[in-house]
Amino acid sequence: MRYSYTHHMPYTDIDRAGQDWPVPNKQFDPQKGVKMFKAYIKDKIYAEQAGFDWIGCNEHHMSPYGLMPNPNLVGAVLAHQTTKAGILQSGNILPIANPIRVAEEYAMIDVLSGGRLIAGFMRGIPHEYIAYNEPPSESYSRMNEAVELIKKCWTETEPFGWEGEHYQFRAVSIWPKPVQQPLPPILMSAASEQSAKLAAKHRAIAGLLALSDMDDGRRSMERYRTFAREYGWEPGPLDFTVGLNCCIAPTKDEAIKILKSGQEYFFGVLGGGIRTAQKLVVQKTRYYQDQKTAKEQAKKFVNMRMGGLSFEEKMECGLMICGTPDMAIEQIHTVHKELGNARIGLSIKIGNVLDEHVTRTLDYLRDEVFPATRHLGEEEAQAAQ
Amino acid sequence: MTFQEKEAKLSAGAVKYFVGGDGPPVLYLHSGGGVRLASKPINDWAESFKIFMPVTPGFDGTPFLDGVDSMQGLADLAGEFIDTVIGGPCDVIGYSFGGWTAAWLAVLHGGKIGQMVLEGPAGFRPDGAVGLASDPAEFVKQMYAHPEKIPEDGKPEETVAHNRKAMGHYHDASPMDKALVARLGEIETLTLILHGTEDGAIPEESPRLLKSLIPRSFLVYVYDAAHVMEIDQPERVSLLVRDFLTRAEGFLVNWGDEAAGLDAAAATA
Repeated sequence: MRYSYTHHMPYTDIDRAGQDWPVPNKQFDPQKGVKMFKAYIKDKIYAEQAGFDWIGCNEHHMSPYGLMPNPNLVGAVLAHQTTKAGILQSGNILPIANPIRVAEEYAMIDVLSGGRLIAGFMRGIPHEYIAYNEPPSESYSRMNEAVELIKKCWTETEPFGWEGEHYQFRAVSIWPKPVQQPLPPILMSAASEQSAKLAAKHRAIAGLLALSDMDDGRRSMERYRTFAREYGWEPGPLDFTVGLNCCIAPTKDEAIKILKSGQEYFFGVLGGGIRTAQKLVVQKTRYYQDQKTAKEQAKKFVNMRMGGLSFEEKMECGLMICGTPDMAIEQIHTVHKELGNARIGLSIKIGNVLDEHVTRTLDYLRDEVFPATRHLGEEEAQAAQ
Repeated sequence: MTFQEKEAKLSAGAVKYFVGGDGPPVLYLHSGGGVRLASKPINDWAESFKIFMPVTPGFDGTPFLDGVDSMQGLADLAGEFIDTVIGGPCDVIGYSFGGWTAAWLAVLHGGKIGQMVLEGPAGFRPDGAVGLASDPAEFVKQMYAHPEKIPEDGKPEETVAHNRKAMGHYHDASPMDKALVARLGEIETLTLILHGTEDGAIPEESPRLLKSLIPRSFLVYVYDAAHVMEIDQPERVSLLVRDFLTRAEGFLVNWGDEAAGLDAAAATA
């Protein structure tokens, strides 16, 4: 099993963010921000020492939910201060970005890190479209075109121009180019049918987040395999990464208490404004291309707030790594047995979970959980390659 | 736009051609599909340029001409057409098979050309590249990203098949014209190479090769277009070519409001 570390870099010094969008930034204290940035970067670097294969950076805008509007800045720091972990940019939100800029900055991270970039191409969550004033209804077509253009930037040997629907560039020849040839590994969401199809087209590692239950996971993976076969390839266990929240403590009760409280803060305090914006985008625009997908995704938003599943139900169905080290080992075995994946993305800094608790979880992972689960899926992964 | 049908008396014989539009002259060399008067880009360009479209002998029901049986021969014929009909140097647009001819024209008669556009030029397929499919459905896939845009009033199947066969009169069906490739470096003409991102007929190695060998050239990918880019993405092709022919190297610069840019270019020309 290979592990990636996800950390949204939340702003945790507020009691109530409210439901407004955008979230008023008068509550942001720059001095506290300085301390948080130092602690978070230190924590991400420590994740490499704890044995994580990849360290992740995400892009989110205008909210205490995450202080990383440009993940490439953080990725550059990590590239410089780590030596072996993959730098997972998951990702840049392509439809609201300049694809040339993304191609350039990702290439920089790949060069800075000596070829450790994992290039995440994300469509983002709905509120980002309000933040950057891009039409949500164009999200898929922008995404499609941006991925093609970025790959062209990395592979084209001659200067070229691009005349597209959303992007027009007459002269492109980026410096530097990525170290990894012909392309760095690509990671994309496979959450919706449309996203899965696009990810399969580009042979991406499929990111599966916010699964409702194991059946949802199996269905999503099978759908991805079907699309991949249409594009002439067969995904192996390393082509799927499943995102899970995680807290490990000396006792089950303590772990549950920490994670539950962190999740409540995450959804109740940090996520308020975002949900308001998401509702506006999902209900008032064609962010999802059909009603069925819109309804499915809306249900997932509810589940993320645990309105659909209780914390315990979520644990029960195996979509949480929470408890003692032994429990965590068993839970990871279950996820692998149920889904057959060989990658897991762990989110540990959930909401206001204390940094020392995050570090403690990292230590448990390093000392007990990783050694007992590394072998999972490896044989199948080797056979698939 | 109305195009007039005319006939040019050249040394090898009569050549049918169409002419329409107003402005600086542009020679348009058609693809293996023959002349398409309904092409939106051609009609757009005719608003700014006077477009001359000779029918390659043997295409669209015309006879072959004695002694004109090679790509170089076609280039010589095009050169004579420029001298005789247009009366002096002009810009050239060559599409697919016509792009192949245009490239030879630039090598053999560069002085007769101002700027040149090569739309998905044939003749530069690397060895081993997939050729044109014989299966009709596969052929359509190679040629069109948006087959739903194929005009219903297209040419009769018989003419299309005849035109495809006529190409064989001028070359030996080898994918790469090595003699031409060896001379691409001699081309001094400012050249724009267009390639559809979904082109199933011409692999991407072809435009790259041209870009690397033609000294003053630009390569632009037309997104979501296959080989018949004038039908798949007419607006994109129309704008790009018009911009290039109007502004030359200046087409690299974003002029903001398009019309203002064109006016400015015209004012400084």
